[in-house]
Amino acid sequence: MQDTLFYIFSALTLLCGILVVFNPFSRNPVTSAMFLVLTIISMSGLFVLLKAFFLAAVQILVYAGAVIVLFLFVIMLLDVKEEERRRFQKFGTFMGLISVIGLAAIIINTTNQTFTIANQSEVQSIKETFNQSGAAETKPLGKLLFTEYVLPFEIVSLLLLVAMVGCILLSKRNTSKEEAK
Amino acid sequence: MDISLISLEVGVALIGIIILLTDLWTPAENKARLGWIAIGGLITVFCYNFSTFDQATAGINGYSKDGLAVYFQGFFVMAAILVILLTMSYASRVSSGISELYALICFALVGMCFAAGASNFIMLFVAVELITTSFYVLTSFERHRLRSLEAGIKYLIMGATSSAIMVFGIALIYGTTGTLDFNEVSRSLLTPAGLSMQLLLHLGALMVLGGLIFKLGAIPFQLWVPDVYQGAPIPVTAFLSSGSKAAGIVLIFRTLAEACPSLLDQEWLPKLLSITAGITILYGSLCALRQRNLKRLLGYSSIASAGYILLGIVCLDNIGSQAVLFYLSGYLFGILAAFTIISVVSEESGDEDISILANLHQRSPFMATILTLAIASLAGIPPLAGFLGKFALLRSAFGKLNDQHSSMPWLIGIAMLGIVISLYYYFKIIREIYWGPGLYWKEKKPSAEPLCCPRAAEIALLICLFALIGLGLYPEPILSLAGEATNNLFSSRP
Repeated sequence: MQDTLFYIFSALTLLCGILVVFNPFSRNPVTSAMFLVLTIISMSGLFVLLKAFFLAAVQILVYAGAVIVLFLFVIMLLDVKEEERRRFQKFGTFMGLISVIGLAAIIINTTNQTFTIANQSEVQSIKETFNQSGAAETKPLGKLLFTEYVLPFEIVSLLLLVAMVGCILLSKRNTSKEEAK
Repeated sequence: MDISLISLEVGVALIGIIILLTDLWTPAENKARLGWIAIGGLITVFCYNFSTFDQATAGINGYSKDGLAVYFQGFFVMAAILVILLTMSYASRVSSGISELYALICFALVGMCFAAGASNFIMLFVAVELITTSFYVLTSFERHRLRSLEAGIKYLIMGATSSAIMVFGIALIYGTTGTLDFNEVSRSLLTPAGLSMQLLLHLGALMVLGGLIFKLGAIPFQLWVPDVYQGAPIPVTAFLSSGSKAAGIVLIFRTLAEACPSLLDQEWLPKLLSITAGITILYGSLCALRQRNLKRLLGYSSIASAGYILLGIVCLDNIGSQAVLFYLSGYLFGILAAFTIISVVSEESGDEDISILANLHQRSPFMATILTLAIASLAGIPPLAGFLGKFALLRSAFGKLNDQHSSMPWLIGIAMLGIVISLYYYFKIIREIYWGPGLYWKEKKPSAEPLCCPRAAEIALLICLFALIGLGLYPEPILSLAGEATNNLFSSRP
């Protein structure tokens, strides 16, 4: 049951992810954003299968809820007609396909080889340690964030400050000196 | 948690915030002078941290302040001070937000200092993101210029892609070992269960290295370099070429030597790295030949120098990494002196074509002398710092000739060829200073009016001058510091 669900969700994630950037039926950015929502929802399904319920909820609340709504606002505020008329660039599509296929081949091949070398019992033991650690639950996650990983956590707050300063800097109204030019 | 261990980073972050706040009470015409506060603060914080820092204190989880970290933190603070001096002389061209420029440089510096001491993958990622995010804003800082916007967008998209590759690698490493700490990752391979996962772990480590090579600007992640270097404001370009590049190097060292020592025993790793280094050197040198835009030319030359740095990394031993550290110090002063003078000269003429340098030896003998010395140092002319750096790199590569590195002779040959090619495009700049015909399409003689150098730029240039000659004639202190910083790095290796 779990395995079937895993395959369904991962296939959905991949398919919708491809349709975000490479949709043969529609070049409308809004459609792409909607497929991004589907990608994120199926990804949160994968998190549920891993028993990371908190991450699954956050994925839907933050990404599907807030971030995509923001994307849609931006897309609707901007002029999207131009984008719809543009065709796929043959060279870009070709190179993109080659690099995606190459990278996928390397990753699939390595994973396959690893699991043929690896002892089944060892794989099982690794799986169990992951299941037991339960680090994906809310309480251990919060504890880890404020004890072991408190320094990176604080650096992220500085990163958010940089992002905020940057946003204001890049979007504030032109000053008089610039208007004079 | 011992706060005194990270007093440098906390101090630098506070300086950034203080500058942002002081900006509110500073009249517009005095805002450029806030840079002096930043410089004074940086020197104070660094000296305080250096004097109170005690090697014996236990590291914080994810952060260790060893010799390598201290060497690179000194390097980053030096680079930031020179860049802020350059920014102050650039201030008249910034229409608004000069204090944000200082603050963002400080925040990027915080990221670099954390990167220097990172000892787990979360720290590595967060520090790299802090650096990159600051540079996203810095590159598109002059948003009324189309080129600056183009640079910002290109850097944003390329940087996000390389971050995605790096995160994928970190996820693979976590998936195979169940830990993110460098030491524990390296230890996990000692158990049979870990050993069977080796292949996947190596793929993860390679993907992390890929994300870091983006910072270095080496093949195959070099495409952003010329455009971003050309489009970004000159102080930002200078900081990208010195600080951001060095942050990539220290993290490459840590990933290779501390997190994945088992990678060093693989036969394909030296081959892969030497192919990358060889192509990078050739690509950078050959593409620089035809450039006329000074910033673009230095961009390609910085790709070539990323190749020389990789030459030192290919050795995968302490001597090679010592050479890389020394080369970086010489490179810092050479490239910053060059960018400072380009900034002053291009401000006056409003162009960045190589012909603006014409007649500089009459207009400002001081700047002409220093630019000549800086370019000669970058090209590797004997009595200067750049020569010793390239010499140390080649010597460490020659030391590896007898080992099983079958690709080493080829790589050394390519590096020599690259140095010879680089003489042409570096001397093109020097020729332009003394014998340049001026703006050829305007068909007028180059101006002979004296060009005065702003006070801040003068100080930066004097520091660079002393360092270039001092490091060239008396390299022992820095060499021994670099040796101390790296003598434990590849210690597990014979």
